[in-house]
Amino acid sequence: MKAAGCLVLALALVKTASAQPKNTGLVERARLEVAPGGRPIKQLTIENPLGDVKIEGYDGQSIMIETTKTAPDEDALDRLRVSLIPNPDGTVRILTTADGGKEVKTLARAAVKIDLVVRAPRDARIDAAVSAGKLEVINMDAGGELDTASGPISVRNIAGELSTHSISGTTTIAQAFGSVDAQTIASDVELDTIGGERLVASVSRGKIAGRRVRARDVQLTTTEGKITLEAEAPLRGRMVIASLRGDVDVKLRRHGPVTVRVRAARLDLGSSLGAARPGPDGWVEGHLGVKPQAQAAIVELRSRYGFVQFAVIE
Amino acid sequence: MSCERIQEKLTAYLDGELAGQDGSVVRGHLRECATCRQAASDEAALRDGLRSLPPVDPPPSLWAGVQAQLAAAEVADAKRPAWRRALARWAPSAPRFAAGALVAAAAIAVLWWRTQRAPDDAPGPDRAIATPAPAPAPAPVPEPGPPPPRGDITAELAAEPARQTEAYGDAAEELLALATEVRGTWAAEQQTAFDARLSELRGQIDRAPEGRPRQKAWRELIRYLQGAIVRDEIALAGGVP
Repeated sequence: MKAAGCLVLALALVKTASAQPKNTGLVERARLEVAPGGRPIKQLTIENPLGDVKIEGYDGQSIMIETTKTAPDEDALDRLRVSLIPNPDGTVRILTTADGGKEVKTLARAAVKIDLVVRAPRDARIDAAVSAGKLEVINMDAGGELDTASGPISVRNIAGELSTHSISGTTTIAQAFGSVDAQTIASDVELDTIGGERLVASVSRGKIAGRRVRARDVQLTTTEGKITLEAEAPLRGRMVIASLRGDVDVKLRRHGPVTVRVRAARLDLGSSLGAARPGPDGWVEGHLGVKPQAQAAIVELRSRYGFVQFAVIE
Repeated sequence: MSCERIQEKLTAYLDGELAGQDGSVVRGHLRECATCRQAASDEAALRDGLRSLPPVDPPPSLWAGVQAQLAAAEVADAKRPAWRRALARWAPSAPRFAAGALVAAAAIAVLWWRTQRAPDDAPGPDRAIATPAPAPAPAPVPEPGPPPPRGDITAELAAEPARQTEAYGDAAEELLALATEVRGTWAAEQQTAFDARLSELRGQIDRAPEGRPRQKAWRELIRYLQGAIVRDEIALAGGVP
């Protein structure tokens, strides 16, 4: 069936296993393939408050969905639902929920689970939200927006604009080649090999650790946690690494002139800027490399109540 | 006329299809028989209810798909030799039949998915994908049912967006308390700018619908407060570190 600007459900529903008892109850698995109609699949939206979501990009055009439902008994299993809504604009939505029904016995949320493993076209943008489950995205090229409440977020090998938010789930982003914006309230953010134009990460109560970061605009902020960063300073780049109460530890690999401004309760600027002294406004400023300073990267480090360490890796 | 015969004619009567004496007989019976009057009233109420349901249109893609397949079949038909076209008058065209069968199969599959909770459905993986639809679904008709039992998963899921929003709100309030402390050190115009922006962001939160949009609005406020407190963006904006 060819559809103008719409998606077609491929008629491939493969049984992989029937319901089988396990220690945790019943497990039910299913697989479905959704092929594009007249228009390629450009956006995948997933909302799964009941378990984990793993999204993996590949070079095909279809979306392949594997669902695993876990429940204590048959009645509970019957109440778990996965809905698939393909839209004519090239968006596919996958939603999970639990049915109410008229004469249901009370079912505890912790007793059931729906896990989704989705293989999607690499160039589809991802918009995914989970609650306490793990949200994992790998090998995607069009970025996305990822939300969790307490579940961890893990992203690897991604291009395009990426935005992640979590209340208390650890966020791990590795091999990101587009702009990254990560925000958590009470959990850590770990960054490894970030190469986009812009990197923004903010945490209220948690740490930020970044290594192999090379972005023109870097802004890392914590209220209470420590910030550790090993980064390259590109020409005319700008870095603001700031914490209210946490320590700041930055190791910089530079390729040109760098202007460093530091303001902290205590500081250690190493041998390269050790001679710099605070000005009347409390800022310590030093310059690395030869002029022209117009091309200098600007690095601003601050911790109102913490300790700032800075070193240059030549 | 017996009640049974009258009730058989009720549908036609309500449709206005009974003219003359037939209509008069039914009307006269309904004046006297409370049971049949109730049956007529129930059916009229049911019709009103059905009329109030939102229309369910077939997805545009269905007709587009049928047209495309028919067009392809016609093109193929035109290219066939005359003897095969003559034969086709007597035998169903295979490609056309196949196109129709494909459309029908897709429609059946969708219907089957939508109604897959058959009583004899053995526990199996098929039920995992519950309600695929080939086009934007019409507005769902809420099913009146009893409220979910306390502690039930449905109640917990319904309460979750508000719970998450509350967590963001708590984090913002903590930062706001810190901001209030440092606000006193800013110049008057900086305080005014801060208050105005704060009011604007709070307005955005109030206007945002519950769920992810409101959480997003809270996150924006949190970012703004962090910028103000941790990075002294407001203080530095006026050149006062």
